[in-house]
Amino acid sequence: MAQSKELYEAILNGDAKKAHAVTQAAIEAGTEPMTLISESMVPAMDEVGRLFEEEEYFVPELLLAGRAMKSAMELLRPLMVASGQKLSARVVIGTVKGDLHDIGKNIVASMLEGSGFEVIDLGADVSAEAFVAAVEERKPQFVCMSALLTVTMPAMKTTIEALTNAGLRTRVKVLVGGAPVTSRYAKEIGADGYSENASGAVGLVRNLLAEA
Amino acid sequence: MRFKVISCQVLTWEMNHVLSRSPHSIVTEILPMGLHDLGAAMRPRLQERIDAADEEGYDAILLGYALCGRGTEGLRAGKTQLVLPRAHDCIGLLMGSRLRYQDYFDTHPGVYFRSPGWIDFQIQGQTLEPANSAANYTIGERQTREELIARYGEDNGNYLFEQFNAFRRRYSGLTYISTGVASEDNFRSLARAEAEKEGWIFEEIEGSLTLLERLVNGKWDAADFLVVPPGATVQGALGESIVEAI
Repeated sequence: MAQSKELYEAILNGDAKKAHAVTQAAIEAGTEPMTLISESMVPAMDEVGRLFEEEEYFVPELLLAGRAMKSAMELLRPLMVASGQKLSARVVIGTVKGDLHDIGKNIVASMLEGSGFEVIDLGADVSAEAFVAAVEERKPQFVCMSALLTVTMPAMKTTIEALTNAGLRTRVKVLVGGAPVTSRYAKEIGADGYSENASGAVGLVRNLLAEA
Repeated sequence: MRFKVISCQVLTWEMNHVLSRSPHSIVTEILPMGLHDLGAAMRPRLQERIDAADEEGYDAILLGYALCGRGTEGLRAGKTQLVLPRAHDCIGLLMGSRLRYQDYFDTHPGVYFRSPGWIDFQIQGQTLEPANSAANYTIGERQTREELIARYGEDNGNYLFEQFNAFRRRYSGLTYISTGVASEDNFRSLARAEAEKEGWIFEEIEGSLTLLERLVNGKWDAADFLVVPPGATVQGALGESIVEAI
């Protein structure tokens, strides 16, 4: 399908304007949103992730691909809401309390959204209470936490404890990441998973969904 | 005793002050500030200097560093004991206490820290070359708007610049840590000017040289210092001890 390839290319090349235009045209031509997502968007984001792992794409390319994906998604989302279309999983994501770094977290959010998941981004400096409230209200399957400082990493443990105290811990899978976070730390605080990078996060969510 | 000090440039003023007052025989090496930006590539830079010092028969190698985003994790000296103050980063060192730092950090969200070294040695737009030039942790945060536009075009260039600098708008304060060193008035004025330029609330707090002082005087109480026996390795710890030796 011509439009599939064009959207795929636009995302890969970080061309937000093109992604928007091509998606608009596809919608007008009657293409189903889910088709565009599964046939163009998800493969494009998978390729972006692979290129990052191969060290051909770096953070700027990821940000631009995410931007292009979002410009397509902003046209598709209202259609999906209107038709009651649900995505395969809902993810709540945020950078923990006291930590204002969010580029990595934004990239993970983009990769997850572009891979066909519903993503609720709470932003940065998110308190344990705010994570708990989001889980209560939005009922996600996944909670993803990011920290860039070893000073703020303890907030990950606090948030997991808060989820436990609120009786919500078993309802979600908690995933953690960020430059100083390690898989050992993730295990120590009782998280369900850790990823070193954004494409790893997508794989983790897919695997955990498959196991569920 | 004979010590080798390997220290981050950001602590130069404070280190010079405490070194001149130490009764021990000390050889000092200063490494450029900002190595923590290299992520995993920070450790080899320090390890190389530790390996060199390890051959010289010092009584201890003292590190003017902290956990530094895990940049010091994995360091070891085969033949010499290594001493590392317990702190997350240089801000904790300059405050003289990791507990004071945690407390201040938790009660003052959105604060950017400055000290004499942070003002004196931070060169605008300077980027460090990582050992692996294709490394994907050089995320371009320091690039100017013009550089990003030249590389990615006007639309995408502007977008990237906004993304990389958005976090600055979330900061609301600048705290200058005064450590009582020479030229402090000048550094303080520059810090204040930066706060004004960014629209951040300026605050000054008094730092403390106690950790650096005890480091170079050989007073390494276990509560505040990690003494790594020869052959053991620095590792981050989960709790408030911050680092441990394995």
